[in-house]
Amino acid sequence: MARPSKLLYPVRARTARVTHNRRVREQLVSVAGLIGRPVLLPDGRDVGRVVDIIVRGTDRSYPAVSGLVARVGRRRVFVPVAHIEQLTRTQVTLSSPQLDVRDYQRRDGEVLLMGDVVDHQLVDIDGVQVVRASDLYLSGVAGPVRLVGVEVGVGTLLRRLGPARFRTRATPERVIDWADIEPLGHHGAVQIDRRNRELRRLRPGDLADLLEQVGRPQRDHLVGALDADLAADALEEMDEQQRDEVIRNLDPQRAATIIAEMEPDEAAETLREVDDERRDVIVDQLPAAAGAAIRTLLGYSRDTAGGIMTTVVIFATETETVAEVAARLPQYGDHRSDIDGVLIVDADGRLLDDVSLFELLVAERDAAMGSLVGPPWPIVVEVDATLDEIVDATLSNRRGSIVVADGQGRPLGRILADDVLDALAPGRGRLHRDVGEQ
Amino acid sequence: MNFSASHLRAGVRRQLRRPLAVVAVLGPGLIAANAGNDAGGILSYASAGAQYAYRTLFIMVLVTIALVVVQEMSARIGATTGNGLVSLIREQFSLRVATFSVVCLLVANLGLVVSEFAGIGAAMELLGVSRYIAVPTAAIAIWAVVIFGSYRYAERVFILLSLVFLAYPISAILGHPHWGTVASNTALPHLLASRSFLFLVVALIGTTITPYMQLYQTAAVVERGARPSDLRNIRIDSITGSIFANVISMAIIIATAATIGGTGVLRSAAQAAQALEPVAGSAAKTLFAIGLLGASLLAAAVVPLATSYALAEAIGVERSVSRTFRDAKAFLGLFTVQLVIGAAIALAPGNLIDLLINMQFLNGLISPVLLTFILILANRRTLMGDNVNGKKFRALATICTVAVAALAAFVALQSIVSALS
Repeated sequence: MARPSKLLYPVRARTARVTHNRRVREQLVSVAGLIGRPVLLPDGRDVGRVVDIIVRGTDRSYPAVSGLVARVGRRRVFVPVAHIEQLTRTQVTLSSPQLDVRDYQRRDGEVLLMGDVVDHQLVDIDGVQVVRASDLYLSGVAGPVRLVGVEVGVGTLLRRLGPARFRTRATPERVIDWADIEPLGHHGAVQIDRRNRELRRLRPGDLADLLEQVGRPQRDHLVGALDADLAADALEEMDEQQRDEVIRNLDPQRAATIIAEMEPDEAAETLREVDDERRDVIVDQLPAAAGAAIRTLLGYSRDTAGGIMTTVVIFATETETVAEVAARLPQYGDHRSDIDGVLIVDADGRLLDDVSLFELLVAERDAAMGSLVGPPWPIVVEVDATLDEIVDATLSNRRGSIVVADGQGRPLGRILADDVLDALAPGRGRLHRDVGEQ
Repeated sequence: MNFSASHLRAGVRRQLRRPLAVVAVLGPGLIAANAGNDAGGILSYASAGAQYAYRTLFIMVLVTIALVVVQEMSARIGATTGNGLVSLIREQFSLRVATFSVVCLLVANLGLVVSEFAGIGAAMELLGVSRYIAVPTAAIAIWAVVIFGSYRYAERVFILLSLVFLAYPISAILGHPHWGTVASNTALPHLLASRSFLFLVVALIGTTITPYMQLYQTAAVVERGARPSDLRNIRIDSITGSIFANVISMAIIIATAATIGGTGVLRSAAQAAQALEPVAGSAAKTLFAIGLLGASLLAAAVVPLATSYALAEAIGVERSVSRTFRDAKAFLGLFTVQLVIGAAIALAPGNLIDLLINMQFLNGLISPVLLTFILILANRRTLMGDNVNGKKFRALATICTVAVAALAAFVALQSIVSALS
């Protein structure tokens, strides 16, 4: 099972994983195997059968079992963990002969391991994949019985189909530690903190990939729970059609929060296919400056320079010094991938030159920006230039970007070479899909 | 290995939705329902027309109602849950029950693959090529095209070829059928009690309400990103699609009945081709062969892919099918095995038309199983919320399912009893 893509991730110190412990591995209790097994009173009398196992707080690394649902006679009753003397692979022994005979009602935060998790989709954050749980493993080696791992092996399915005596035997085949799992769309509250902390381990491209892979309800659930910046990064990388779908289904307020985190050109791209009415509602909720920028971008047709460019550009006047301009750069940190140079403009806002970051770096600190004006001259296209014209301009350019200006030569934005690639190969999707799989 | 593996993953996801892109104006409902008019469908309808002339038309009306009900439910399940049928079955039923349904699906789909290869064989024989050459060649070609890539273009060609069958309604009119008889046989309830008639009815059900179509319907709705708010349109699409498909089916029966109706059991594709003579004259044979070939090739590629994908979905490796060599290998293997078995059975000595109709009969036996699952899912409020089956709809859907199941069981029993005695 080669996962070369892992090498591309920042190496991160990992806390020890419980399922790597040999004692734990040898004494795993199979949840699927335990279902249907007898529930015994302290004196050994058989009172019922295990129906499901309940945990609370799946946000914790290894949630503790809080009780179980048992079928006693015709009822499905709740047995709290405090009343469980012993839980083994084959049976559950109670510590008290008293049973609450009211029918079990699910309470907030309770997750039924068999009903909600086994056979359902989960996100394996460590392996960056969506998996389906074949079984879950419990362990009581270190104190209370806890959920420690997920089995995703196919052989385990065969074990579950087999006769009863095989079913209770844990068959660790491909076990993923629960600490590496992101549960999806279960009942009950899920702690967002852990989710975001764990999901931040993924690159935006991988997160986008996962979002494209899970079922729609799970996807909506995930996007809803992500921090806005994380969601924005992931959406930017998603397949266009699926991204539209996500935006369509988000509450406009939430959509605006996420879009506010995007680069203006990506935001405009994301909103382009959304129907007008909804788009207006979303844009209205954006901060005024961002909203105005996005409105302007949306005004340009998508295959022209205006529709492709980014409006994140840095202006400088002739009289400013290099040091002053350099001092302004840090505030563009969030947009660093869109910054390719500094545009020097005259008093009327007309472009004089496009100074690359290299030129800026090697210039004297107290030199005036005006002294940097000179060849090579920037390549400029007008805002309504067609894709062909943009491609020609990019090809004749020796740099990574070209400048977009209005009819009077006032710069409006910049087109980076990678924007041209995106525009040329829209059907290719984002490259992330195959990066790291080779 | 990685080339083909990653190709497969992206490919399969796309293949399920690509037919939609090809005919972008058509809805998934229309395409799903018309998938019933494949090799098995055309020859079953032709067989019905040849053997019983117009007598099966009333049955087709009932089958149309059942098809509308089933396709609507499948579409609604897709739009409401955003999940495919197989993954829902895995999540909503016990593993044993889910396994049973998947095995049924595998068998039904394998039956379809067999019948598609029989269709390829029959079509090529019409064009003067022995099936012992045509079928293996087609199997290898399909395998190579799907694995190595240019499937997208091949598929468009197949779809274009199969559009030949839109000539049937014209042929039905030009063939001057007895419209009075057509009308009375369509409107007046009747059933022939003979065993061969009932057998044919089950085959007709099997080819019209194929489990594969429900799978496709749900997958296509999900792939399109449809949501509960789109339900109105989805409903219209699935209903009109089903009705349109069955109008074509009935046109095939009428056209065949008008030309060779009552001449007894259909023995060859050449006979079936005569139904196109009113429209194509002496070119009828060639035209029929081309259409049959296109429809068969299309389904022979798509059905095994869909089966592989369904199994991957059931096991839970659908999303990562290309990530590990082993999974991809299993996936590729399953695809290959289906083609090999399908082609091998189609090469076994015997009448291709009989084989084809037997496979539709097999689908007819299995179809009630999948219908039951769909019905239970669509009845489940915890899954469907407000889009759960209403009371009246539920009653209608239950009647359809029970009727199909009872008929299939009855004919199956009858066949077993007669085989034993």
